[in-house]
Amino acid sequence: MTDPSQITVFTARRIRTMNRSNPVATAVAVRDGRILEVGTPETLRPWLDAHPHTVDDRFRDAVLMPGFIDPHLHPTLAAILLPCHFITALEWRLPNRVSPPVTSQEAYMARLTEIEAGLADPAEPLITWGYHRIWHGAVTREMLNAVSSERPIVLWQRSFHEVVANDAAIDWMGLDRADLDRHPQVEPSTGRFFETGLSLAMRGMNPHLLAPQRFSGGLELVKQAIHWGGHTTIGELAYPLADDAGEWAALKAALDGDDVPFRTHFVPRGALRGAFDAQGADLARIDGYAARNTHRLRFGNGVKLFTDGGFFAELMQVQEPGFIDGHHGEWMMAPEAFERVARDLWHAGKRIHVHCTGDLGVELALDVLERLQFARPRFNHRFTIEHFGLSTPEQVRRIRDLGALVSANVYYVHELGEAYWQRSIGHERASSMSRLGALEREGVTTALHSDFTMAPALPLNSAWVAVNRVAESGAVIGAEERMSLDAAMRAITIDAAYVLGMENEIGSIRAGKAADFTVLGEDPWEVDPMALRDIPVLGTVFEGRHFPAAG
Amino acid sequence: MAPVLPGSGRIPVTLLSGYLGAGKTTAVNRLLAAGAGRRLAVLVNDFGAVSVDAALIEARDATTISLANGCLCCAVSDDLGGALDGLAALPEPPEQVLIEASGVAHPARIARMAGGWPGFALDAVATVADPETLRARAADKFVGRLVRDQVEAADLLLLSRADLACPAAVADARALLAGLAPGRPVLDAAEAAAAPDLLLGPLVSGAQPRPLPGPAPHPAFSSRIWTPPGPIAPERMREILAALPAPIHRAKGFFVTPDGATMLAQRAGARVEIAPAAPAATAIVLIAAGPAETRENALPRAIAELDAAPFQDTRPGDAA
Repeated sequence: MTDPSQITVFTARRIRTMNRSNPVATAVAVRDGRILEVGTPETLRPWLDAHPHTVDDRFRDAVLMPGFIDPHLHPTLAAILLPCHFITALEWRLPNRVSPPVTSQEAYMARLTEIEAGLADPAEPLITWGYHRIWHGAVTREMLNAVSSERPIVLWQRSFHEVVANDAAIDWMGLDRADLDRHPQVEPSTGRFFETGLSLAMRGMNPHLLAPQRFSGGLELVKQAIHWGGHTTIGELAYPLADDAGEWAALKAALDGDDVPFRTHFVPRGALRGAFDAQGADLARIDGYAARNTHRLRFGNGVKLFTDGGFFAELMQVQEPGFIDGHHGEWMMAPEAFERVARDLWHAGKRIHVHCTGDLGVELALDVLERLQFARPRFNHRFTIEHFGLSTPEQVRRIRDLGALVSANVYYVHELGEAYWQRSIGHERASSMSRLGALEREGVTTALHSDFTMAPALPLNSAWVAVNRVAESGAVIGAEERMSLDAAMRAITIDAAYVLGMENEIGSIRAGKAADFTVLGEDPWEVDPMALRDIPVLGTVFEGRHFPAAG
Repeated sequence: MAPVLPGSGRIPVTLLSGYLGAGKTTAVNRLLAAGAGRRLAVLVNDFGAVSVDAALIEARDATTISLANGCLCCAVSDDLGGALDGLAALPEPPEQVLIEASGVAHPARIARMAGGWPGFALDAVATVADPETLRARAADKFVGRLVRDQVEAADLLLLSRADLACPAAVADARALLAGLAPGRPVLDAAEAAAAPDLLLGPLVSGAQPRPLPGPAPHPAFSSRIWTPPGPIAPERMREILAALPAPIHRAKGFFVTPDGATMLAQRAGARVEIAPAAPAATAIVLIAAGPAETRENALPRAIAELDAAPFQDTRPGDAA
């Protein structure tokens, strides 16, 4: 747009506004990055008669939706991972490559050998991500030595809890064989480092993984991936990861430029990492972040807390009867400390987002919310259960009764549904993970997120899992917990905006909101639900400016 | 090869575990005030809760307090490995490390992590329990499993507030601990923190183990040095230490195997470990807790029995 104050009318094959009062349109008038009105060329007449305007029909064959919103991901973690070579059991589509499904050991080793042969610098460490024993069998140090005896090769397991290293990598990590021999969670013969043994490997790998040049290159890939998924707003849902000063400088350099086609809504940690027994919320720190706000990078009223451990790591806290193998999940904070911090935040009027992966984690969050509501009732508080791996139907009703919201990672169903059925918690509970159908039946406002890189940052892919509940094998798992298409599309637009407290700004196409659109090649309501994830994302419009998809 | 230090060459790490409010911080504060008779580094999760007499403090910054008695107290958040590397890199590294685990930590996991870290080895897991709250906590909907795991993973159990709690509560807590962690010694937390050899074990990383506790008997524990009469096979030493009578909860020192190798032997509660060591004087320090009369009787009797035992009776497969 040459003159930013000029009105531009975008016409499209169809506009899905996600505003129930006015669901379908064919034209939208935009000025200064905001929507003046959406409707038809006829209904827009009063604006167009009163002001100079141009009609832009570049989207005449496309479908416009509100810009997609992923209300929970982690650019910092993704920036560490994306520069790795992906060899994955499930397909990963990224802007600069597609990692096709690799589901046997033979195919895994062939792909690894191919990647190794393609690297020019013989000293460059080869770090791959996505290895998983279920699909790729036991890949060992000797097998990696056969790929290269010179180049450090590290397989980083899909859930980040294990690596396998060749001899060159063990030397590169600066590890003494005697320390590996005596470690209970390192297998020197196979080169496998797991759980606490992994810390030894990470100590050697971190200088490489966190090197500034690699990290900023990783953030560039994150930026591309977010645009490629069709997002115009993301939530960074636990700021900072560890090092505030370094992270902020890197994020600001990468995500605050005029060329960035999305905004980032930051939700700070209510307690910094390692504050397991916190006495209360550090409100001065939390409130202080807002002074950094820019046009694209903003801290709002939200604060992040954690109850239980990670879902991919099987460290979620599970109610009886627990895990099949009898292991126990973990608490990220002492429950009393969680309650103290939550109480301070509640009384300060904050919007509290709680990471809960297991049903005992959900139970703790709801018990605390119930006591907070008793002590000081609040309406419209938007206490949000994040991830929502395991839950019970009764908890869903209680979520509704307490006025809470859910932001769910439904990809769990696709990647872990069958694996957890077989070897973690059995069929009944595994098939109802990410219980979205019940949330919809109870009328709980629900968003979908990727927690990227826990799931691909592709909102249409998340919606596809939510609507179909297709597990890794292709079978449907937990059919009763499927979500309607309407609810799934709301969950990546207007309901995601609501979860972030931004529903007056973004999330639907209506007069007054930011002119953020996702440009689709097909209408999600017209394709087979199983084809949802294949709809081409042709690009986005961010605040009135068109950012076509690369390539 | 790096120069071989006495002992295993690794700094022993003692883990102090226990749920929120069990009494860990009180124990740490007492230990810091009493001094440990060694360069002890204490890694704490909640630095703000550390309370030491200002007169003892030599230097202090945002994350470290150095005390005149040789103790160093450091804040550690979620980078335990980095904190341990920092200690190992000090001009004068600590002779022992005590980690105060967070209230929600699974001690077995931290023990594997710290004990497996390059340059460090696990000494013992000590779990603190508060007699007034233990039973309720162990049955709690959210943390019951964790609290029971913490007790079950312990080598030593420390009962806090034993002097303040009502006797029935103490007896009840002891019964609960005995059920969850059979055979693990239960010490008084206040006594153990005021007598570091009781909690941390004897310091034997030097060339000579020091006789303990000195000329005057310590009010909280008794100790003796036993000198093995000759070479002992590692498996036999393991049996000997495991069979020491109840008041003797810790043993640590060096012995020589029939093929001439020096080994470090230690017992902490029910756990016995034998590890290769650099040559050192052969001697094992035994420490007993409990009522003075019981422990003073137990030690000489145990040593007499040890001296009479058939040490040369090596078992098949021991000749390494």
